[in-house]
Amino acid sequence: MDSNMIYILFICIFVPIMVSVPLIEKSSRDITIYILIGIVAALFISEVNGMMLKLFDNDILYVTTTITPVTEEIIKAFPVLFYVFLFPASRRKLLSISFALGIGFALFENTYILISNVESVSLGWALIRGFSTALMHGLCTAAVGYGMAYVRLKKKLALPGTFSLLITAIIYHGVFNIFVQTESMKYFGFLLPSVTYMPFLIYIIIKNKKTKTEVEGKSISLVTKK
Amino acid sequence: MNYYLLANIIVCIFAFVGFVYGAMQFFRHGKALYGQMITFALLCVVIGRIFNIARILSGVNFIGSFQLGTLGIIGSFMFFYTSNYGTLDSIVDDGTKEFLKYRLIAMVAPVVVIGLYFPLFFLGDVTKIWKVQGAVLLFFMALCSYFHLKHLVITDVEFGVIKNLRPYNLLALLYMMSSIAECYAMSRNNSVMTLVSTCFSAVFLVLMIPLISRGLKKSFKRKRNG
Repeated sequence: MDSNMIYILFICIFVPIMVSVPLIEKSSRDITIYILIGIVAALFISEVNGMMLKLFDNDILYVTTTITPVTEEIIKAFPVLFYVFLFPASRRKLLSISFALGIGFALFENTYILISNVESVSLGWALIRGFSTALMHGLCTAAVGYGMAYVRLKKKLALPGTFSLLITAIIYHGVFNIFVQTESMKYFGFLLPSVTYMPFLIYIIIKNKKTKTEVEGKSISLVTKK
Repeated sequence: MNYYLLANIIVCIFAFVGFVYGAMQFFRHGKALYGQMITFALLCVVIGRIFNIARILSGVNFIGSFQLGTLGIIGSFMFFYTSNYGTLDSIVDDGTKEFLKYRLIAMVAPVVVIGLYFPLFFLGDVTKIWKVQGAVLLFFMALCSYFHLKHLVITDVEFGVIKNLRPYNLLALLYMMSSIAECYAMSRNNSVMTLVSTCFSAVFLVLMIPLISRGLKKSFKRKRNG
């Protein structure tokens, strides 16, 4: 494979999304930009991880289960921190952009792995990578984003809270990596992100329904008063 | 039987029970953020222990190198620190001279914790990795211990919140001691002592949420009754 393949792939994915940004509606623009930032972070981390592998004598298992979760989560957290300090955003917005960053990261990572192993991949592989790795990256970054939402709300909570959530995200990432790389436990790894994601999804759906009902209730009472 | 595996399974189960109970108690609208932080601390312990369990089951040398599972303990202490520093301390201590006495008394805890580092890790017959790991762990424990001791000795505020949370603060200090004992035992490759200390940690962790829940309920009751 061409040694520049990762950059070729980066241009092929990054540029089409980038040129579409000015045409996208303002409400969705931040999300798209953060998907792009996730792609850049994935490219950057591939270089860092390469250096780490050399530093630890190419011990792939140790590096992928102990070192890369730390480097990846820290690098993914920086753009979210940048957003928090530049723009006043709601907790929900921060969750959305951080999740988008994680998804952008996973999108590039998945595509690169696909290109590198094009002869051995299957439909099952695609489903597993799609549901497990993408969700895992999204959830980990969203957890850190949730902590950063307190930067403006309660300053005393922000730094230690974000640091604690970052640690939690790093260990979660490590657990996922160790599961998927151990033959006897790989199915736990494939299921872990979905099992974590489902309660959040259900919670958000219920909350949205509740808010909608409350808003409808308020508007009905206003109309009756009039 | 691998005692390290057994020790991690015990703590993982007990912390998970505490986490589920905490999630049921505190993750509802209008519930105290303080309790949510402690629940997150238990989640961090659970994920860290799952990492350790997976690491042992995958047959990798568990003691000799840095593991992400150690971050589980650090993460839990960071959440304890966040809960005390970020949510409760400003209610208790307004920074005036009146509370200087309590601040000075509370300083004893971090001094003792940092002091323990020298005989236990720095001067002890342990590997370099444990000298570093011991320093990092005890640093975070020292940060956290200051607030636990402070909230144990400081005069009560309105509605008796400090008095009602004293049992929890005492338990958190005991958990800290059992965690130090666990790290000491692991650095000396003493599996029996690791198992004993983790059994204590497990009991302390599972009792935390009921004590906080009871303490906060009592305070809210007094607040309601005026």
